[in-house]
Amino acid sequence: MSTDDRKSAGRYPLAADAVRRWPAGTVLAVLGSVFALVAVSLVVLLAVDQRMVTDVVARLHDETVPWTLERQRLARNLEELRLGGQRVLTATDEVSREDALFLVRILAAHPGMGEDPRTAALAAEVERFLVKPPAGRPVSAADLKAWEALSARLRLLADDLSVEGGQRVSAELDRMSAAVEQTRYKLLFNLVLVGAFLGSFLFILRRYLIQPLQRIHGVLTSLDARGPLPALSSAPMAEIHAVEEAIVRFHATLRENEDVRRKLERLATTDGLTGLANRRHFLGQAAEEMARARRYGRPITVGLADLDHFKQVNDRFGHAVGDHVLQSFATLVAETLRQTDRVGRYGGEEFAFIFPETTPEEALRLAGRLRERLAAAPPLLPDGSVLPVTVSIGLADATGRDLEESLAQADIALYQAKGSGRDRCVLASQDAGPDPQP
Amino acid sequence: MILRCLVVTLALMCSLHGHAAEKALRVAVLNHSPPMSYTDDAGVLTGFNVEIMYALCEAMGVKCEPVPVTLERVVDVVAAGEFDFAAVSLLSTPERRARVLMSKPYYRSISVWFARPGVVPGGVSSAVVRGGVQARYVQAQGWKSLLLDSHGEVVTALLRGHAEAALLPMATAVALQQDSRIHPLGLTTTLLRDPQLAGDVCLSVNPRTPELLARLNEAIDRIKRDGRFDRINSRFIPFRLQ
Repeated sequence: MSTDDRKSAGRYPLAADAVRRWPAGTVLAVLGSVFALVAVSLVVLLAVDQRMVTDVVARLHDETVPWTLERQRLARNLEELRLGGQRVLTATDEVSREDALFLVRILAAHPGMGEDPRTAALAAEVERFLVKPPAGRPVSAADLKAWEALSARLRLLADDLSVEGGQRVSAELDRMSAAVEQTRYKLLFNLVLVGAFLGSFLFILRRYLIQPLQRIHGVLTSLDARGPLPALSSAPMAEIHAVEEAIVRFHATLRENEDVRRKLERLATTDGLTGLANRRHFLGQAAEEMARARRYGRPITVGLADLDHFKQVNDRFGHAVGDHVLQSFATLVAETLRQTDRVGRYGGEEFAFIFPETTPEEALRLAGRLRERLAAAPPLLPDGSVLPVTVSIGLADATGRDLEESLAQADIALYQAKGSGRDRCVLASQDAGPDPQP
Repeated sequence: MILRCLVVTLALMCSLHGHAAEKALRVAVLNHSPPMSYTDDAGVLTGFNVEIMYALCEAMGVKCEPVPVTLERVVDVVAAGEFDFAAVSLLSTPERRARVLMSKPYYRSISVWFARPGVVPGGVSSAVVRGGVQARYVQAQGWKSLLLDSHGEVVTALLRGHAEAALLPMATAVALQQDSRIHPLGLTTTLLRDPQLAGDVCLSVNPRTPELLARLNEAIDRIKRDGRFDRINSRFIPFRLQ
């Protein structure tokens, strides 16, 4: 992988190794644990509130309501005490007075009356007041006035006792209501917290898992060995980061494989000395062009070129110079012919051509131009001297013929060029027969 | 599925049959002890304790069969298991608690001493009912006593001069005070708050049935909460029992 590739990758994940990464399982476990801890804490708090409500209800049921009812009974006995006192004072005979006084004394002595210091004191005061007037003495106006005051106090105390019961119940209900309200708020808070946790969880899941996976999917879908390194983010999740690193390594491997493949392909199809297509590759290209021309009924011409007296060049100047001559000729061919023309080293100093969409006459002009350029710009040897080299070229019309036959015709034309003195181009005649044996 | 339904139905029927066949609780009550337990003019056993018993049994969802016994035998028959419980007002004394299970207090009581004018305790024969704490107290004090079987006999004993005084529990004393037959006697009353004569009043329960005690206590709470206790109280007692 080249430096340019690394630059083109933008935020290259491998370059961000300083960033601390977290295993997704650990992150989810920590998030889940925190959520569970908070949720359990809130549930415990709710349970405490619920227990508080349960306790208040139990207290209401077992203590407050019975206590309130006892207060009402005590208030009722105070009222009975007041009515009894009234009967004592208004009794018309001694028996009635004694009956009423007996009831007053019973009520004053009742254990329930002694439970509250206020009722105990007032009941004792009422008993003393009612017992005081000796039997037979008429009740005086002062006695009645004093009784009115006592009677009023009895009524008020009875009211107080009744109200106290209600107040205690009310206080308990207020406490329960507060607990229920508190529970409601906690429940609401719990719901909000659960929602927040859920939202956070989904956010983290989307941002740090789903989106990176989507990016990875996109990268893998468009991964091309000939393209640049795909842009990957620096994912904080360790597993995602590992996958991204694997993608980078995979891409590098793909590129290396592609380079090797290209080298092998070049070696398999190219002549190592001249850089032109080798014979096998040329024949393949020529067959394709022939098929295309036949399919569309287009003209096509083949040619064979042979450097003149090349053996003498080798013998006189050595193979290195011979190779240089071949390379120079190949360069000249590449520069002279059109892009659509195909050329290959056919063997030794022999080269083969195929001219698609070209009539024999046009090909003849092209070959002539090549011959002329070679004559005008002979190969320049390493020592600075110029080595004049000529070429003979045989051309044949391949339109409507097969490749082998056409090459054979071109070969005949080449021999004709050689036989006619070399350094010339010969177009095989249409009715030429088979190549005569030399 | 069908088999399961049949089994459940059968079990339910057996349960209902068992519930329906549950025998009535035998409850010991007093008679001739107004206003707590007595036979009214129509010949029906009634009174505060009898009606409380019915209310408790209704609250427990059971049938009860009241059977009159004398106060003297109440603890014995309950301790012997002849009765499931006794709807008789008993002060919770250590001796009784040792023999029977005592319910939670359903009210508190004191005792009242009735006597002819000028009579001091101990000097004359005092009418008391056998089995009551008053009888035990009189005997413990060494007073002369006339032991009776029921509170209803006290009036007769006083009227006939067999006794010149009587020591009675609070509710019975209120009824006696309101009895016009004794008014000519001009009895004086003294309220006694001695711990032996006053305190928590409970029901006694068969000592072999603690589960019944729990149900009874729960029923007492229930009828006190739902007002049944107070309505019965108003029918028989001129003030609230607490």
